[in-house]
This record gives sequence, structure tokens and C-alpha cells, in this order.
Amino acid sequence: MATIIIDGREIRCRDGINVLQAALEAGFDVPHYCYHPGLSVVASCRLCLMEMKMPDPRTNEPQWSPRLVPSCQTPVRDGLEVRFDSEKVRANQRSVMEYYLVNHPLDCPVCDKAGECYLQDYSYRFGQAASRVVDPKHKNPKKDIGPRTLLYQDRCVLCSRCVRFTQEVSGTSELCLVDRGHRAEIDVFPGRPLDNPLQGNVVDICPVGSLLDKSFLFKQRVWYLRTAASICRGCSTGCAIRVDHHEDRVYRLRPRWNPGVNDWWICDRGRFGWDFIRAPDRIVSPQICRGGEAGRVDWSSLPTMIRLRIEQVVRRHGPTSVAAILSPEMACEEAWLLGTFLRGLAPGAPLARGPVFVEGQEERFPVGCAPGQERFIIRPEPHPNRRGVEAVIEGLGGESADLEEILGRAAGGAIRALWVVGGYPRPDWPDQALLAAAEKLELLVVQDMLPGALTRRAHILLPFCAWLEREGTFMNHAGLLQPFEQAVQPPEEALPDGQYLWALAGHAGLYRAARVREMMAAGLPGFDRPHVPPEEPEHAH
Amino acid sequence: MSGFEPVLLRNVGVEGVRTLKVSESRGGWAAARKALTTMTPDEIVEEVRRSGLRGRGGAGFPTGVKWSFLPKDRKHTVLCVNFDESEPGTFNNRYLAEHDPHLVLEGILIAAYATRADLAYIYLRAEYHELFHILQRALDEAYAAGWFGADILGTGYRLECHIHRGAGAYVCGEETGLIESLEGKRGWPRIKPPYPAVRGAFGRPTVVNNVETLACLPAIIERGAEWFASIGTPGSTGPKLYTVSGPVNRPGCFEAPLGLTVRELIEGDDFAGGMAGGRKVKAVIPGGLSVGILTADELDCRLDFTDVLNYGLLGLGTAGAIVIGDDADMRKVLANTARFYAHESCGQCTHCREGTGWMARIAERIAAGAGRIADLDLIVELCGRMGMMSGMSICGLPDGAAYPIRLIVEKFRGELEEAIGRQPPGYTERYIRDRIPSVYALPVLQAGAAPARERAVPA
Amino acid sequence: MAWKAIDRITPADDDGDAPVLSEAVREKIRSFFPRYPEKRAALLPALHIVQDAVGYVSHRAMRDIAELLDIPPAQVLDTVTFYSHFWTRPRGRKVVVACRSLSCHLTGAEAVIEAVKRHLGIGEHETTPDGAFSFVTEECLGACEQGPCLLINERLHGRVRPEDVPRLLNDPDNDRLDVPRSDLYDGIRGPTGEMEGRA
Repeated sequence: MATIIIDGREIRCRDGINVLQAALEAGFDVPHYCYHPGLSVVASCRLCLMEMKMPDPRTNEPQWSPRLVPSCQTPVRDGLEVRFDSEKVRANQRSVMEYYLVNHPLDCPVCDKAGECYLQDYSYRFGQAASRVVDPKHKNPKKDIGPRTLLYQDRCVLCSRCVRFTQEVSGTSELCLVDRGHRAEIDVFPGRPLDNPLQGNVVDICPVGSLLDKSFLFKQRVWYLRTAASICRGCSTGCAIRVDHHEDRVYRLRPRWNPGVNDWWICDRGRFGWDFIRAPDRIVSPQICRGGEAGRVDWSSLPTMIRLRIEQVVRRHGPTSVAAILSPEMACEEAWLLGTFLRGLAPGAPLARGPVFVEGQEERFPVGCAPGQERFIIRPEPHPNRRGVEAVIEGLGGESADLEEILGRAAGGAIRALWVVGGYPRPDWPDQALLAAAEKLELLVVQDMLPGALTRRAHILLPFCAWLEREGTFMNHAGLLQPFEQAVQPPEEALPDGQYLWALAGHAGLYRAARVREMMAAGLPGFDRPHVPPEEPEHAH
Repeated sequence: MSGFEPVLLRNVGVEGVRTLKVSESRGGWAAARKALTTMTPDEIVEEVRRSGLRGRGGAGFPTGVKWSFLPKDRKHTVLCVNFDESEPGTFNNRYLAEHDPHLVLEGILIAAYATRADLAYIYLRAEYHELFHILQRALDEAYAAGWFGADILGTGYRLECHIHRGAGAYVCGEETGLIESLEGKRGWPRIKPPYPAVRGAFGRPTVVNNVETLACLPAIIERGAEWFASIGTPGSTGPKLYTVSGPVNRPGCFEAPLGLTVRELIEGDDFAGGMAGGRKVKAVIPGGLSVGILTADELDCRLDFTDVLNYGLLGLGTAGAIVIGDDADMRKVLANTARFYAHESCGQCTHCREGTGWMARIAERIAAGAGRIADLDLIVELCGRMGMMSGMSICGLPDGAAYPIRLIVEKFRGELEEAIGRQPPGYTERYIRDRIPSVYALPVLQAGAAPARERAVPA
Repeated sequence: MAWKAIDRITPADDDGDAPVLSEAVREKIRSFFPRYPEKRAALLPALHIVQDAVGYVSHRAMRDIAELLDIPPAQVLDTVTFYSHFWTRPRGRKVVVACRSLSCHLTGAEAVIEAVKRHLGIGEHETTPDGAFSFVTEECLGACEQGPCLLINERLHGRVRPEDVPRLLNDPDNDRLDVPRSDLYDGIRGPTGEMEGRA
């Protein structure tokens, strides 16, 4: 720990960081473009310049140095005194902000970044109102640099964050600078577009409206967007994300700082892989199948009906004739509520974890890095909560069986009632073994998102909501338990899974994941204390 | 010039001196032999330090001190010879190496030995084609004679020396820009620390020295630090190559002890021999474009490392004087100067990238007869905002841009204002209005890419 | 709403399937590797050699070089475009470079530049239809005492007067050097003196 003085305030800061980072962490609003804590320091934007006390060569007394110093390039050291609150520093900020607008087209009205643009924010806070430029502006062409990303060069501040990202984090080096001086531009080698599994991050780290996500282009003004803190479901890494939504419509997913897990980044599979929530044929209401006829039922009559049907099977065939298959797409709380509910009716009911798919190989970044040097890993397990579901099954005690075992018993007639949770947004779910086993059952309860061979066989069909419509916790590949908020309401009629499972278990009122976790903690120590990533400093970006 | 015998240019005009044989017959390579066989590297560093030799590339940093920054426990050291001479008005290195390539190579060997470098690169600017061939052939000959390569003079010392050709970028004369360019990258100067002495080319301790600086070394080794220090003025020791260009009778490269006055350089019979065509001096840019400008009243300025500061100049620079006659239009001088820096700014730091580009457009407009008095104030203000000295940038290029541009406006403000006053009423307003809806045609750095194919996004 | 954007996703027109660098040129580039601790440092020499061998640095040539030096093609593009010496589209057999910096400007460069344009009938960065000449202006060529000066390929011409320009440009030997050349940075020439750049 070093103690430094910023604007007369003593700041205790972590060792090995630079003054800019220390100032941001202490809440100072220091403007910066090129600095990003996840990238190398280039000190080229010259916005974060500060005054620093240096020993006078004659008297050795600390004096304010006449020249400004980049705070991003100055390591903290005990006793260092700096200031941002000075006319000299502000004059520099004003002048840099004026420079950025010399050639900028000032097309904020049609800019997707407007509202969250650091060119706007910094001009407002540190710039000046009037322009003194009377000479014509440069005009650069817009460039289609990748399947998902567009480059609008005129808005660029040449911070080179995007270039460094592709060099240092993704390791794919598609982006480069071309030309020099005031003619310098960002570019790709034609025919080698920006197209790597992490490319979407360059749009996030672009402090201005220069790099644009085509799927978000002209879609929504950002000031309408609200944000929910969620966890990505794309793989078992468990990246923290933000879900930007408006009027129950999701517009984009972005990374949320989560040091040690995903840092500042997410992959494109997670970022864009949520289209299934917009599928037109989603299962939205509970349905009961009687005599081959499926009919909707009312949410309020559902708990009693399910309870009666299960009790009936238990009475006829005994407490081990009921089983459940819990999907790694479920939240821990949902798995726990379902497990405790079933065990309440059938204390010997075996619980199994649903199938786990594998997609390709682990992808490590930067591409080609040495083991141990990874900055980001996309894992081949395309589910968010295998470990969480397994932990819940284990924590509930009783019999935990594996999937084949359960299916075997169902085929053999030992299991008569099966509760299957799906929610896999993939065409290879469910498989033939499961469908075959389902034929023999007296009672098949299915929770799923999209209709298919399994849902058609279900006696009771319940909607499985997308994770953006639910709240709960996922446990990642390393056993880290992370909560996610509900971002949007499920489609009309549907209830979030947690809500109806809460009611099924006989609880009144609203389902709250945190409340369930407290209940879980008795058998599952630590579940009441999930990992919540620290907030990023307010003025960091 | 009485009493002064040229040191660096002593072989100019000697028939065949580009060959090793003639060079050796004229005493070439003797100092290198002395250094390698009778002195330790540290003794050479000390000798150079005592000589007071300061870098001739522009910044004037004491060479011996620069060498002493190298870490003591270093393994591989790189010597970069800065032959990227691109400062307008400057050609002393070219002139020297064209006439006496072996003197330059000998200086390189001595410096490499003193810094215990095992690799030396001569970063030669691309435009010096003829010189490349001269220097490369001299280098080949020196290699063949055992002055480079393994076990030089049987001392066990090994030095590989290569010419690395630049490709047309002024900023590569900045030492870390040069290193980046040497490594095959765009010549963007590096942030410091780490300084090249600690971590330079290829991550190795690196020294970057100017050609003329290195050419001084043989004489220092041969005749001693005291002799060298006795030449010139206090704090500015040794001989210096001065160059003169512009409308003078004898433009060229001249050697004199440091401390020559601008007036002597322009008017002296041993030097440029006065103005050509009956012109008078209006102004002089005395040390390469970047140092700033002197008026006709300031010709008594002594060209050493200290007196130039009394005239508001950035420094001695390269001592390449550009003489401006009374027939020149200072608006065009201003526009030409501003354009140079806009063209050569590397584009890394905001102040320099945007500031030089903006000023070039303003100056271009002033030269086109559409200036405003407010533009002059704006230019001075923009100049005051850029540069390493104020902390606004990574390298010194914007200081070098700010000095001449600001000083031209400040020292010739009367003439510029008068010219602006002569513009037809309303012309500036019309000029600006006619161009505002249009966009600035970007000056091309190089022949552009193939015609663009366009597509709609989103599709 | 949609925008027109330049297509950078499909390869450039001068980026064909077949490599353009001959094995001889590759070998020449490889001969520079031992000079540097890192292979990438051979990039500038490689670009000089390729420009000489092929005439300019095409996108395909950039890719060939990238492969040879084990770096991403974008890094080659980045470096190529930073330097004004390299051409990324075909140029004339003789490149005329006029100095436009202050010393030459003061000694009459403007008139010389106009004379060159008039004689060749082309503007800056243009090439004559017969491919004989390209013309550019450049910042200081470092021959200020000889201003105004012109560089024709490797040969520098000093103290050029506008009236000298036609004679100078018509002289077939106007790019011949008086000094013995080193072929270190040259492209590979065949027995007839023709470049053997293309594979």
C-alpha cells in the first residue's frame, strides 16, 4: 500500500498501479481515452496529464514541476503529490478536447454512441462550448471492417485501444493503424476482417462512436436503455455481463467488470448468442394433456394439480418411483426449490443432472499464448450451471443418480413419474434415450422453452424462461457462485421458473432468489454469500 | 578561417578517399586501432566525457554522459547510428559521409567499442540513395579488412555493423522512433521510461548517436580530450559542421569551431559568401527548421549550445542554416513550415497530430490571401500548447514544430498583419464560406489504395 | 437508415490467390534475417526489395511478406502506410520526386514543380499513361545546398531551373548514378536486366 496525495487528499492505493488508476479508484473524474487497465499504456491521448511535485534540483524541496506529466504513465509511490485541480491541467484538458473536435463531424443526432460517449461527456465536462475552427474538416470514408463491426473513422480519437485489444487480448491482430499524422486511420488488411470470437469488445472499449456494432446500429437511443447485472450463459466461464434493455426488449449484452473471471471482456458467443429468447414459438403457458388433448391451465390452479398427480404416483408405486432431471441451464435456487418440493412428496426421489453438451475445444486468448498466459478462455461446456446443479443435488442429500440410471429405471418401469427440465436452446436436445424412456411414464412433467418431441409427450408442460427473464445464481467451472438479475419480463402469460416453483413449494408471495439462498444455506454453506464482482470505479471506462 | 584546420572535413576533395587504402594513408582508422588496442571501453567513455562532446543531432546531450546511462551488467548492447537526417536545411551528415565514409565508420567502431556494443545499425534515410551505395561499399571494404566482424584486430572484440535503410519519415530521427522503425514497425516514438539505454532496440540496452557526433570520436581519441575541449566556446566544445542553404552565393557545408556567428556563416568569404542576386537577409532559420527563426537584426547570434537560447530559439539544432531573402513572402514561409510538420507528425499524441494539421490549414489559408488577424493569435496559442517541454507529447517533434511556427508569427507579425490588411475586403469571409460545406482534401502521404468498393451497412 | 461504407471484408483487387514473390526474392529477404535479433526487423528491407522487384507493394506482396516474417498482414499494412517511400499501387518506371521544403522553396522549387507537371502532363501522385513516369513532391531531401532539387529514381539533380526540366526528363540516363552501386537492397534482376519479381 502506498499513500499518495491527489488534490490535497491523502489516498491509500494498491502498489504497482499508476496514478490515473489510483485516482479513478479514489473517485476522481480524470478524463482519459487511451488508458485502459486491461491494455498496455501508450500515453498518447494526453488527456490525463497532471501536475506533479518533484524535488527542486537545488534545494531538494518538493516543487510543482513546470511540465505536465501523464498520470497513466506515472507509477504510484509513497509520498507522491499530484494535482488535477489546477488551471494548468484544466487548460490542457480544454485544449485536447478542442483538438478532438477539429475534424469530428459532430453528428451526435445519428450516432449510436450518443448518450454514453466520452467525447460528449468530456467535451461537456472538460471542453469548451465554442469552436474556433473555420477551415474545412477532414472527411474519411466509413469502413466495413468485419461481419459484425463498422468503423466510422471521422469520429475516431485514435486512442488505439481497439488495435491494442486485438494485439494483446485476442491475439488476432486484425486491426492496425494506417498512414500517419492527422491522416492516420484505423483499418484492417482488406480480406482479413475483424472476425474473432472476442471482437465485440472493441466496440465496448471504443470511447467514442467510431466502432459500431452492426446489430445495434440505429436500433435504440442509449438513454432509453436500462441495465441489469447478469451472468453470461454461453459457457461455464461465468462472465459477468450487463443486459441493456428497454420495455422488456433486450438490445445488447455487454461485459461487466469481473476481475479474475472475465476481467473486462466477453466473447461473441455470449454477446450475441441470445437470439433464441425472441423465438416466436416459445412455450409461454402451463399446459395439461388429458386424453391426448393439450389444454392451457391457470397458473393459480397449477400447484394443487401437480401435487395431486405426483402424490397419486407415490401412492401407487412408492416414494422412489418419482425422479427428476435437473438441467444445467437452471439456476441453483430453481434446482433447490424443485428438489425440495419433490423430496417433500417423495422422500426417496432420485435426482439426476441433465445432459451436458460439449462444443468444440477450449479457446484460449491471446491466440497462441503460452499456458498460464491466457487472458480469456471460452470453455467447451455450453451451459452456465453444471456445477451449481450438481452442488444442489449433492447438498439436498438423498439419492443422486446419473442420467442413464434414471432413464434405465424409467424404461424398466421402476420410475413412473419423471420431471424433466430442459431449457437447452439447441436442436440436439432431447436425445432418443430420453424420448424412449418418456414413453413408459405415467406422469411426465416437462419444463422447456421451445416445443419439440419431448414437450409433445409431456403430461404437464411448463414454460422454461430464458435466463434474462429470471433471477438466480450460476456456479461457474471453478465453483464460483454468481448471482444474476432478471433483466426483462418473460413473454406474456409466462411466469419465471423460480416464481412458480416457489409457489409449488407452498410459499406465498414473490419469489426472491436471495431469500431462497438464505434458506439453502443450511444445507449448502456459502450459498447465502455469492460472489458479486466489485463495481468498476465510476469514472473508469 | 584563419588558424582553424578542418577536423571532420579534412579529407574533402582528396582523390579516392572513399576507399579504405586512401583513407588509411590519410590517417584513417588509426584512432580506432589506438582505441581498441591501448584503451579500455571505460577509458574511452571518460575521455569523451572530458572532451565535452555534445550530440550533434539537435538536442546537444553530452555524449559521454549518455553512454554512462547504460546498465553496468548488460550483456548485449546495440549502437544505432542516427543517419535519418531529415531536418529541412540540414545535410552535414550526408556531406561528411559522402566525402569521407571511412571517418564515419571509424567513429562507429570506436563508439561501439566504448559502449561494448556487439551490433551497430546505421539508420540511413531512404532518400540518400547515392550515399547508401558509397557507405555500403565502404562498409564492405572495412569488413573485408577486418574492421568489423569477429575478433577485430585480434582483440576478441566482435562487432556486426549493418546499414538499415529508412523509408521516408522525419520522426524516425527521434531516437525511439528510430528504434521502432529499426524493429520493422511504424516509427512511433516510445514513452520513456524505460530509456533506450536501459531497454532499447530488441529490448537491449541501446545507444543512439548522430553521425557527426561519431565522426568527432577519432579526433578525440587521437589528439585527446583537452585538445578537443580547447576548440569552440565554453560548454560548446569541438568543431562543428555548419550548412547553409537558400539564396546565398555559396550554399554548402562548412566546418568551424562551435560559436560561429550567423553573420559570419552567411557573409564570411570562407563560408556562404553573402546573399545571391543582390538580396538582403530578411530572416535566418539557423539550426534546421525546428529551432526557430532569427530576424535580420539578430545575425550576431553565436551558433553554439548556449547563445541561441538568448534569441528565443529551441537550441542549436543541427546548425543547418536556411537563409531567407528579402524577396520571400513570410506567409509562404509560414505555410511551408506548418505543412512540413503536419506531414511529418507521427499521429500518436493528440496535440501534435491535430495541432499540426489544424495549423497547416490555417497557414495554407493565410498564404492563399485569406488570413485573419485572429489566425495569428490562434497559431501562437496552438504552438504554446504542444511539445514535450510542456509535457504535452511523447517526443520533441511538436516542440520543433511550435518554435519555428510561433517565432515566424511573433517575429514577423508586422509583415503578416500588413499582408492580411492588403487582402480585398470580404475575401476571407468568402473564402471560408465557399469551403465550409466542402471537406478538406487530405494531402496524400503515398499513392492511395485501389478505388473503393462500397456497400450499405446495415445491409 | 443505412450508410455507405467501404468494403474491407473482401480482398483487394491486387491480392490474388497466387503468391507474387519469386523464390529468389524470398531468398533475398531471408538473407536479411541474420542481421537482426528479430525476424520482423527485416520488414523495411523486405519492403525495399519487393518495391524494387515488383514495382510497388501490392496487397498480395504484403501478405507474402507477412508470411515470410511470421507477422499478421495488418502489421505489414500498418508499417507500409506509415512511410512515404513505399507505393501501394503501381508507379511509373521512373519516379520523379521534387523537394518542396523550405530551402528548395526559397530557391524556386514551385516553378520547377510546375515545370515537371507541365512536361509530364500529370499531377502529384500520378503516373503518365505510358507508365514511364510518376511524380510526387516530398519534404526535405537533404540536398538543400543544391536546391531546388529533383530525385529521379536514385539520382539526385540539383540546382534545377524550370527551363532545364524538359531536357532533364528526356535524358534516358537521368536516373543513372555515377558511383558504383551496391545491390544489397535491390530486387532480383534476371540476365536481361528485367526484374524477376513475380513468381
